[in-house]
Amino acid sequence: MHRLGIGRDVFGGVLAGAVVGAVCLASDLAFATAPPPERVAFTGGTVLPVSGPAIRNGTVLVERGRIVAVGTDVEIPYDAFEVDCTGMFVMPGMIDPHSWDGLDVPNESLPVAPFLDVGDALDPSSLFFENALRDGVTSVHVIQANNTVIGGVSRVVHPIGLNVDEMTARADVAIKMSTTPRRGSDRMVQMVQLRDAFFQLDEAIGALAEKKYEEKREKDGRSVDVGPEEARKRGRELLEDKDYDELHLNLVRLRRGDLGAWVYTGSASDVGAAIRFAKDQGFAEQTVLITDGDAHLAAREVAAAGMPVIIGPSLFHRERDPISGELIETFIPKVFHDVGVTFALQPNPGDSFAERFLNYQAALLVRQGIPRDAALASITLNPARMLGMGERLGSLEEGKDANIVVLTGDPFDFASRVEYVYIDGVLAYERASDVRLQELLRLQQPGGGEGGEAARPAGTNNQNNNNARSGDRPAGGSERGAGGRRPGRTGTGTGTGGGR
Amino acid sequence: MNTINMPSTANQRTRRRAGARGWRTIASLAAVALLTPWASAENTQASRGRDVLGVRVGTVHVGDGRTIENGVVLIEGGNIVGVGGGLAIPRGATVVELAEGSLTPGLIDAFARVESRDAFGQETQGRRRGLAEIIRQIHGEHSTAFACTCTGFAMCPGSHLHASYEDDGVTCPLCAYPKHAPLELLDQASGLVGSGMITELSNEVAAHTSVLDSMNLRSPDLRRLAEGGVTTVFASPDSSAVIGPRGAILRTAGPVQDRVIEPAGAVHAAISSDPYRGSMSNAPPFRGFVTARTRRPNTRMGVTWVFRKAFVDAERHANGLPVGGAETAPYEALDVLWGVRSGEIPLRVHARQKNDIESAIRLTGEFGFGFTLLEATEAFELIDEIRAAGVPVILGPIETDPTGPRRFSPETRRASLATFGALLDAGITTALTAQDLRDENGLARQAMYAVRNGVDPQAALRAVTLTPAEILGVSDRLGSVEVGKQADLVVWSGDPLSPTSRPVVVIVNGRVEVDRR
Repeated sequence: MHRLGIGRDVFGGVLAGAVVGAVCLASDLAFATAPPPERVAFTGGTVLPVSGPAIRNGTVLVERGRIVAVGTDVEIPYDAFEVDCTGMFVMPGMIDPHSWDGLDVPNESLPVAPFLDVGDALDPSSLFFENALRDGVTSVHVIQANNTVIGGVSRVVHPIGLNVDEMTARADVAIKMSTTPRRGSDRMVQMVQLRDAFFQLDEAIGALAEKKYEEKREKDGRSVDVGPEEARKRGRELLEDKDYDELHLNLVRLRRGDLGAWVYTGSASDVGAAIRFAKDQGFAEQTVLITDGDAHLAAREVAAAGMPVIIGPSLFHRERDPISGELIETFIPKVFHDVGVTFALQPNPGDSFAERFLNYQAALLVRQGIPRDAALASITLNPARMLGMGERLGSLEEGKDANIVVLTGDPFDFASRVEYVYIDGVLAYERASDVRLQELLRLQQPGGGEGGEAARPAGTNNQNNNNARSGDRPAGGSERGAGGRRPGRTGTGTGTGGGR
Repeated sequence: MNTINMPSTANQRTRRRAGARGWRTIASLAAVALLTPWASAENTQASRGRDVLGVRVGTVHVGDGRTIENGVVLIEGGNIVGVGGGLAIPRGATVVELAEGSLTPGLIDAFARVESRDAFGQETQGRRRGLAEIIRQIHGEHSTAFACTCTGFAMCPGSHLHASYEDDGVTCPLCAYPKHAPLELLDQASGLVGSGMITELSNEVAAHTSVLDSMNLRSPDLRRLAEGGVTTVFASPDSSAVIGPRGAILRTAGPVQDRVIEPAGAVHAAISSDPYRGSMSNAPPFRGFVTARTRRPNTRMGVTWVFRKAFVDAERHANGLPVGGAETAPYEALDVLWGVRSGEIPLRVHARQKNDIESAIRLTGEFGFGFTLLEATEAFELIDEIRAAGVPVILGPIETDPTGPRRFSPETRRASLATFGALLDAGITTALTAQDLRDENGLARQAMYAVRNGVDPQAALRAVTLTPAEILGVSDRLGSVEVGKQADLVVWSGDPLSPTSRPVVVIVNGRVEVDRR
């Protein structure tokens, strides 16, 4: 599988420079563009390799963009740049397995358009990528949205880089399809369009093959000696990639197994259609289903077909029982987990502030009784494998890409924040330099004002102090029985020092 | 002596031994009879074991900052009768035990927007957009044009021009159509309707009405709140009227006839653009299609004037002077407002923007009564003023992307994640609210968001338990796990502020109302 983009092996080269440059731009600091360190050691933290149990006080050693050692007694070279992770957690970079936020328009208006490539529409400056990095996502699978019959080809990118080539980690990953009817269409039309696309493909291949065989015979100075059927059969063996036009090449590659098939199934009835279609066309092995709505009701079918699944974005399915009126809430990942289907999670910014974080989504799994390792795998190793990058991403193992996230605490604790993000062994994000995040959290005093946080009394949260004093009503009192209170009563709290 | 069991086969030696055994039996029975009352009265006020519900967890969070390890809570007759570490549970009591779990007081949302009617019987998924779903269902996917012109849901006064804006590639200056996806308009509409917007709109001053009269006490939304750990809510009206109805304090679970704690609570007023901007309809006296010309008031000037006039009229009416002129409130409303002026009836003011908060402080200062500040998005700019005014604040929800009734308002753009912490640091009484948000955005998770943004976990817990109880004036009965208070408790599967934890058992008024073990 060839890989577009600047090779990691050209160390200190353009990627590293671009990464540093991008960090400079993001952080507004003046850096000398020195080459990043060749060896990096993450020491003292709790390491979550995903491929094995957690390692307390573990070390991860990175050399030239790859992980070379993970353990408790790793010998650290003298020239390694040491990242002190004491009190922190070290885990593989999280993977967003299904996103179109980096594109300008989620779907093409043409229903069957396998000749498209998301690389042509990717916007490296999109705020989406900056936020992904901030949230600890080191790989984003950019793919078209669900309103399609057959969409274009997707790619996996790092959320950092100045242009698409720099960002690309793996191009030509999968073709997007959908058995859920496009908006304004219906299921019959959808399936006809799907089948027709491949029927047309076969026709086109046949015509090309016949022509190719004729050409070959001409070149050999002979005439065509067999009927059309046989000519096509012989011609097919002669066909190369360059013979196909854009319209058909990607589907041919799909048939050949060079591309995955990511099929959106927005409801349970679409799942069966997708499985049958994939089997008929011969790409069931490379198929990943994207479930939505009530598609989890077909979990057993999915398990029988052995296909992995991308869930979501919403992990809860809520519906009202039509007779009793009772609200029925289903936790979708549990359904798939119980029948043994491999799944990955998506961020869900649409439903709540917390669900936009992949590690929060994984924490929901733990809440509902799924083991921690399975939850962690669903945001790291599982999506890596589904993207055909299981050898390179998704866990902290020797030989894998050094895509590492360091968090201030357990990833399943919502108070934890992403402290460092390393991509290919190079620092891509550092919370201390994250100006935009500081803006979000800082108290803003537009137009000068009387100073920012310095003017505030530095105190602990005073309500605890208030309550500790006897008989003291908290500042402001209550709504009931307040009496004729006059404004002007000052608060009773004063700080006792210490920060928040 | 019939108390002694004589063996049926007479046997001299056995008889003698039985006699001796008999004395010992009597003696031990007597000892037990005498000592039992003392033993059971040792740590608790519980009388008979079988009337008691005992809860044993890893950690009890009292609600005022204290925690108790290996905590046990004893409940009887709807009240907490015992709290302590390693407390003994009387024999015969029902026991709820979760060794790895924790217990908190039932959460209290002091500014809840409760869906009083279940939007057309349809449940919403995730974000509350019931109305959008309905319209899409009834009118099909391409129903956006319908929504824009359907007068019932017309959100933008310029919606009749939207079609031409699309052709010309121009953005509507009022609502930014079509820059928002067309269905966003529906979301905006549904965000208002689906979130329990209930306000009597026959007059800008509706203080004589009470939300309770519109409230469906069997609303599934209350059940959803209970399952999220919220046991008490102040059901609020929306901010469509300048001085709106009085809210009600409700229990979210339990027998329906016991759900009302306070039928007529604080009066809800709004100093913001909501009264003239966000409302679906503000019926002019002659009904008919609402336009900018018939809507009243139109500006903050109008809002302030209505507010001031109402309180001036209240005083006039109370002193027997005639009241009149445009926008005069009903006499019953004026009576209520006179109660506000004298301090008997509390007032709460919904204000987000800095100038609106200042107006609220100024206006109430003119008349000399206090109030509670709601939402207060830009409070971080007015910390000193709020503290000087002695105003408690009900802040929230904490969100980076405004939804529901806040989505369409430009006033929420300048929220800061640090506001809550800053208010607490300044010693201002601050409670957290989730308003209309539920589940992963609900009140329990709001406290979790606060901790992420630097607030101490116990302070965050207090802001959703004891502090709102104090603000609502029910802290003698609710808000913390203390002997003598009502047994409104939530047992969590782990730490209450952790994403991996969920409410497992919810006890309201001493009864287990939610059990998801």
